[in-house]
Amino acid sequence: MNGPGVWRLALPLGLAQLMFFAAPLLILLGTSLATDEHLREGSLRAWREVLGDSFHIQSVVNTLRLGALTVLATLLLAVPLALVHMAAGPRLKRAILIAAVLPLLTSVVVRTFSWIVILGREGVINSTLIATGLSATPVALLQTEPGLILALTQIEMPLMLLPLIAATARIDPSLLDASTSLGASLARTLSRVVLPLALPGLIAGSTLVFASAATAFISQSVIGGGRLNYLPALVWQQAMVVFDWPLAAAMALTLMGSVLMVVGALNLLGRGARHA
Amino acid sequence: MSLIQRRGLLAAGLALPALGARAQATQMTAAVYPGGWDEALRAVLAPRLLQQHNVTVAFDPLFAVDQIAKARAARGTPPFDVFVLDPGPRVSGMDLGLFETFDPARLPSRGVLPAGYADNVGAAVAAQVVGIAYNPQKVPKPAGWRDLFRPEYASKLGLTGFGTTFGTISLIEMAKALGGSETNMDPLFAELRRIRPSVAAVAQPAAMPGLFQQGQIDVMYTNTYTVTLLRSRGVPIAFAVPESGAAAFVTTMHIAKNSRNIAAAYQYIDAMISTPVQTALSLDPYFFVPVNKEVTPGADVPMRSISEITNFVTHDWTRINPLRAGWISRFNREMAG
Repeated sequence: MNGPGVWRLALPLGLAQLMFFAAPLLILLGTSLATDEHLREGSLRAWREVLGDSFHIQSVVNTLRLGALTVLATLLLAVPLALVHMAAGPRLKRAILIAAVLPLLTSVVVRTFSWIVILGREGVINSTLIATGLSATPVALLQTEPGLILALTQIEMPLMLLPLIAATARIDPSLLDASTSLGASLARTLSRVVLPLALPGLIAGSTLVFASAATAFISQSVIGGGRLNYLPALVWQQAMVVFDWPLAAAMALTLMGSVLMVVGALNLLGRGARHA
Repeated sequence: MSLIQRRGLLAAGLALPALGARAQATQMTAAVYPGGWDEALRAVLAPRLLQQHNVTVAFDPLFAVDQIAKARAARGTPPFDVFVLDPGPRVSGMDLGLFETFDPARLPSRGVLPAGYADNVGAAVAAQVVGIAYNPQKVPKPAGWRDLFRPEYASKLGLTGFGTTFGTISLIEMAKALGGSETNMDPLFAELRRIRPSVAAVAQPAAMPGLFQQGQIDVMYTNTYTVTLLRSRGVPIAFAVPESGAAAFVTTMHIAKNSRNIAAAYQYIDAMISTPVQTALSLDPYFFVPVNKEVTPGADVPMRSISEITNFVTHDWTRINPLRAGWISRFNREMAG
C-alpha cells in the first residue's frame, strides 16, 4: 500500500472536497468582502461591523467560552468513567461502551427538546426541588448559561467518551502493575502513566466536543434562548431573516476561524506533550 | 374518529375520483410552510387540484424567509412555482423581483375574495389574526398589550423578536400602546429593557408553542391558529383580543419569476381559494382563517366573515420592512443586556 501512486486513492474525496467545500468557502470569503451577494463591488463594511462592534466580539467570546466550559464539564465526567472502563471486566466494559454510544442513536433535536422538559419551570428538576422543599419557587435553569452547559455536556458526552475509551483501552495493564510494584501511589500512576498515554484521546475528544458545542445551533437557540448570544444563531439570522449576506459570511468565517484557532492550539498541545 | 383517520378519509374521498385517471398529469412545485400548512395542503388542496385540473403538485416545505432566501440563491431559475408568504417577506420578494406579474382575471374563483385580495402581485389565500395567548388556569385574562409589562405577566411571558410577521406586528402594537408608533420602537425597547431580567423566556418563534405547552411560559403573542391547534391537543390556552384590537394580516401566494408552469400555478391558487378547499381548511384539524367570503371562520377567530377584517389593526409593510433589520439587531442587543 505504500506504492508511489497510493495518493490516487484519496482523489475522489479530495476532488469532492475541492468542489463542495473549498470552492464554496472561497465564495463565502468573497461575499464577506462585497457590498451584496452579487459580488459586484468590494467593501470591508461587513468585517468592520463584526470586528469593530463590541456586541459581536462579545458573541465570539460567549461562543468560545461555551465550547471551553462544555469541554471542561465533559472531561470531569468522562475521565473517571474511562478509568472505571479500564479497570472493569469484559461485561461491564461492554455495558459502558453501549451506554456511551446510545445517546448518539437518538437525534440531537430529540435530545435538545428533552432538556426543555427537564430544565423548564415546571420541569423534572424544578418539580423535584419544590416537592422536596429544597426550593419554594422554580429555579431558572432553562435559558441560562449553566443550564445550556448542563444540556450540552450530556449531548456532547459521546464525542468525549469514545476517543478517550479508545485511548485508555490501548494502555497495556502490565504498565500499571509495573508502576505499582515500583512503589508509585495510585495518584502517581494515574498522573505519570495513564494520563500521558491517554492524552491523544483526551485531545481528540476535547477537539470534537469544543467544535461541536461552539457550533451547536439548535441547542444554543432552543435551550439558551434569546438572552444569550452565540455566533451560529446570529449567522442564521443575518442570512435568512435580515438577508445581509456579507455580514453573515463575515460572521461565519469569524466563527470558523476562532474555532479553528482553538482546535489548532489543542493539537499543538498534544504534539508538545508527546515530545515531552 | 381520530384526527388521522378523519384526515385520511377526507384525503381519500377527495382523491378517489382521480385515481387511475388521466395519465401525464402536469407537474408543478409549490413552497409551503412546514407543519400544519404542509399537512393541510397535501391532504386537501393536492387531491382537489389533481381531480379538477389533472395537476400533481410536489410540496417544498419552507418558512417564508427560507423561500425568499432559496429563490434568491437560485438566481433566476425558480426552485418552485408558487410562493406562500406573509406580508414582510412578500414585500422583500417584490423588492427583489422574485414574482411574475399576477393577473387576477386568470382565477375563475376570484369573486369569492374581498376586493383587493388579488392584485398584480399575488392573491390572498388565508388570514391570520394576532393577539395575546394566555393560560387561563395560571393567569387572569390580559386586557391589552400594556398588561404584558406588568410584573405578574412579565414573569410568565415568552418574548420573540422581529424575525416573523406575527412577532413584528405584536411588538409594533406594544410600541403603540406604550406611546410609540409603527415606526418608533423606542418606548418599547425601554420597557423591554426593564422587564428583560424577569421574563420567562426569549426564544425563536418556532420554540414558543413548545415552551407554552411545557409551562415555561403562560403568556405569549401569537395567532388564533396556534391557539386553536394547541387547545385541540389538550393545552390550556385561550386567545385574548387586546383592547386596542387584534391585528390581522393575510398570507398570500405568488407565482415565481420564470416559472415554467404558469397555467398550473394559477389553477393551484384558484383551487386554494375555492369554497370547498377553504371550507375544509377552516375545520378541525387545520383551523385556517378563510379569506373566502362564503366560508365562516372557526369559533376562536374573532370575526364572522373575512369582510370584517377591515375592523382589525393592519400594518404598512412598505414602511416596516426598511426598518426591520435595525429592529432585529437592536432586539438582540437589548435582550443580551
